[in-house]
Amino acid sequence: MKDKLIGVLAGLCAGGLAVQAAAEEIKVGLLLPYSGVYAALGNDIEAGFRLGLQTFAPETQASFAIVTEDTEVKPPVGLAKARKLVLDDQVDVIAGVVSSGVLGAIRDFVHGSGVPLIVANAGNDEATGEQCSPYITRMSFSNRQVNRPMGDWLHAQGVQKVFTIAPDYAAGRQMIGGFVEGFAAAGGDVVGQEYTPFQKTQDFGPYLAKAKASGADAVYAFYAGGEAISFVKQYDSFGLKAAMPLYGAGFLTSPLYVEAEGPAAEGVIAALHYVPTIDNPANAAFVAAYKAETGRMPSEYAVQGYDAARALVVASATGAADREGLARALAQVSFDGPRGTTAIDPATNNIVQPIYVYETVAGDGGLTQKVVAELPAEADPANGCTLSTTN
Amino acid sequence: MFRLSPLRLGTLALLLAAATGAAFASGFAGLEMLTEILILAILVIALDMVAGFGGMVSLCHGALMGAGAYAFAMAGLSLGLPVWAAMLFAVLFTGAVGWIVGAICAGSQGIYFIMVTLAFGQMGYSFVFESPIFGGDDGLAGLARPDLSALGIDLNTSRAFALYCLAALVLVVLAAAQILRSGLGRALVGIRDNERRMRALGLTVWRTKAHLFGLSGMIAGVAGVLAAQHVMYISPGLLAWTVSGEALVVVILGGLGTFVGPIVGAVAFVVLRHEVSAITPYWHLVVGLILIAVVMSRANGIFGFVEDRLSRMSARRAARAAAPRGEPHDA
Amino acid sequence: MDFGFWLFQTLNALQLSMLLFLLSVGLTVIFGLMHFVNLAHGALYAVGAYVAATVAGTVGYWAGLITAPLVVAELGLLLYWLLIRRMRQSGPMAQVLVTFGLIFVLLDLTRIVWGDIALGIEVPQALAGRIEIGGVTYPVYRLFIIALGAAIFAALALVLARTQIGAMIRAGVDNDKMAACLGINVERLFLAVFCVGCGLAGLAGAVAAPILSVTPDMGLQILIPTLIVVVIGGLGSLWGAMAGSLIFGFVQTFGAVLLPGLASVLIYALLAAVLILRPAGMFPARG
Repeated sequence: MKDKLIGVLAGLCAGGLAVQAAAEEIKVGLLLPYSGVYAALGNDIEAGFRLGLQTFAPETQASFAIVTEDTEVKPPVGLAKARKLVLDDQVDVIAGVVSSGVLGAIRDFVHGSGVPLIVANAGNDEATGEQCSPYITRMSFSNRQVNRPMGDWLHAQGVQKVFTIAPDYAAGRQMIGGFVEGFAAAGGDVVGQEYTPFQKTQDFGPYLAKAKASGADAVYAFYAGGEAISFVKQYDSFGLKAAMPLYGAGFLTSPLYVEAEGPAAEGVIAALHYVPTIDNPANAAFVAAYKAETGRMPSEYAVQGYDAARALVVASATGAADREGLARALAQVSFDGPRGTTAIDPATNNIVQPIYVYETVAGDGGLTQKVVAELPAEADPANGCTLSTTN
Repeated sequence: MFRLSPLRLGTLALLLAAATGAAFASGFAGLEMLTEILILAILVIALDMVAGFGGMVSLCHGALMGAGAYAFAMAGLSLGLPVWAAMLFAVLFTGAVGWIVGAICAGSQGIYFIMVTLAFGQMGYSFVFESPIFGGDDGLAGLARPDLSALGIDLNTSRAFALYCLAALVLVVLAAAQILRSGLGRALVGIRDNERRMRALGLTVWRTKAHLFGLSGMIAGVAGVLAAQHVMYISPGLLAWTVSGEALVVVILGGLGTFVGPIVGAVAFVVLRHEVSAITPYWHLVVGLILIAVVMSRANGIFGFVEDRLSRMSARRAARAAAPRGEPHDA
Repeated sequence: MDFGFWLFQTLNALQLSMLLFLLSVGLTVIFGLMHFVNLAHGALYAVGAYVAATVAGTVGYWAGLITAPLVVAELGLLLYWLLIRRMRQSGPMAQVLVTFGLIFVLLDLTRIVWGDIALGIEVPQALAGRIEIGGVTYPVYRLFIIALGAAIFAALALVLARTQIGAMIRAGVDNDKMAACLGINVERLFLAVFCVGCGLAGLAGAVAAPILSVTPDMGLQILIPTLIVVVIGGLGSLWGAMAGSLIFGFVQTFGAVLLPGLASVLIYALLAAVLILRPAGMFPARG
């Protein structure tokens, strides 16, 4: 019944687009931050997305038009822009969304209006858990997914006691929660946890002193962007790196800003779904094309944009061109990309992908990422998502 | 003293007509912009009451609006109050907070007043930001709009919601005019002009200031409730000091202490931001430059400028009529 | 949590305090003299950090440390001639708003010039590593910040108390009209103090760059703490800026250790209390 209702609603919304669909032009709304703290991420995702469309467009009959909107990393602005894309620009599909806050704000609207959304970053677990929607497909990662296998792996390396630290917001707590879940299941012991005020902490000194006093074997951290740079540098400057190795979610030493961290990042071991040094042909092609286009090494954000575009192409190649059809096709997407075998789990619409453990090391042209281990892909548990029963 | 001159009344009528027309004529994007303007207008009326008529330049009105939004959300989500009760609760709560802040700050002057209110605003922001019960940085979702289906109105459509906000703005304008016209409002203007004189006349200055700040807080609370209902989602960003700063900018842009000016400012600000941000991601730069130019021009905002010009013109005309052949004298 | 732990945290608090002192002293003296609150002070700090990062990347750290304050002082000069001079007679609200607009202008200009990706610079070789004091090993660079802050405080205190220009500034803070009557070129004095204040903000940016990340919004982040320091200490007072910085640094650091989650609320509560009990701050420049 509910399913039928959604179908009718989506049909009504899609009705106005029948003419466009016949022309096979798919209108894509890119909803990304171009100002505010995540502007650099937005730019990387857009560069990846455009490269992806350009590379894979020949595989489909459809052509694509892109409309971009700036979320300013503010949830209300993000929602207003999402509404504009759907109601005013009449896009067939939305891609992007960096912050979980923005995703949380637009979720109900996207679900209700039946416009497929390809999430190209925001990792909050609920979006493909209890808040999941047949219209929301995630091509980036979930917070838990990146960190849980690392708990297991770290314990296998002989680390018994860890101290965790992360910013105090949902993503920080989920990242650490995922890690602790894996680490505790493997028999490890968390001797201390610290959550620092999100985007308000510049001086980690007080917290690092606590970590040092905790008697842990290692520290496991999640930070991103400017906070990651400050954290990694201060961790090194206090001399903790030698005594307690630093591990973390791989955003800590992302290629996007690892140069700004400098030698302090050397030796940090972290888990992530993508690093530019993954050895496979698809990645080699992607890295070469991305460097030619932008002059930078691709970051995990760039690959998320690239794969989001590819997922859209693959979905449209099935013949789907309207909102409803694209949403259904996106849930079936699977391909071998730069991250290895990448597929959507139809039970949650979340991505399933291998996780790479990598060490930041000094290379010829600066810092580079040495892949230490490839942890097998694991689908997240449904966590209250009922897609598989209603679909 | 506060007076609704023909110019002010006329502008208000014109704005009301324009907003009503826009609410029926525009498409989705226009309605969203209209709603944004209406909510901002309510906030800046609240701010103009204290800053323009009371000389209390507050940098915490964004936080008051945020307090209203969170009070509304918590009343609905945690206390389980029905929507209308939650709205009433939020407005009263914000009024109480405003009264307390006003009472505490009443002794401060000039730059110190700005700083104290900034401190209170930031205190609220930090509190909301760091308290898990408010959802922290991730905010709270699932807020409800009132159900007017009994009247045959579906507030979940953009048009109905814009008209609902317009109705709220009209009520707020009427209430604000009533307050400023009352003894309390007159006393406030008296304090702004000469605090010592009012004291000598036997007025308890702090109480007048606190009452006005409380009433202004209630209006800011209305803006907060509407903002929460508009987005149906709230996050601590609502309370950030830059929101208060922007509100002050809007008041200045329109004309401080002109009652109608801030509404004009809200229209100008929202339209400007939309237009510029459509062209460049560096719209802050353009808006910042315009703001600097407006403040440095020394005119009292857009409406203040017009009002000033017109009153000078009519004064000159009156002078000419009174002394047709006399010496030119200074109006 | 032994003695070493608390010593370590004390040093952390001192380091934070000194960084804030470098920022707040300029702001507060400018206010004392000119009754002008410059909300764009934090944006100048960000510009200083970016200039330092750029120069350090090409020439070297020390060149950056020297260039940054000079460039930012020049920028101050420019701002003074373009804006501040004309705003002197305006009320506090107009000043607050002009500098509020300036924040956005400078923020976007740094984004246009340096991009959105965060930058970072290395601690210079001479100050790298750690030394042992009182049983704890502490980074040399952080001790350098503490020493630099203390040295600048001492130098400023000396200049204010013992030199002619210091006497002129004190006269200006006390009563600028009277000072002008006594033949002091107040306008030139304002300009000099404004440029030095801006230069110190640039210096703070350059000093902070190696331990923090250099991002466009770093100025916005530091502004509120700086204002709190200035208001707690008392607008216009050198000693107040030092006292305010120490109070902020210690409350923030020990709050983070002992009452995590309440540290920043604690600071705002303290600020409100100071403003209610002593509206002019703890060490106001004038009685």
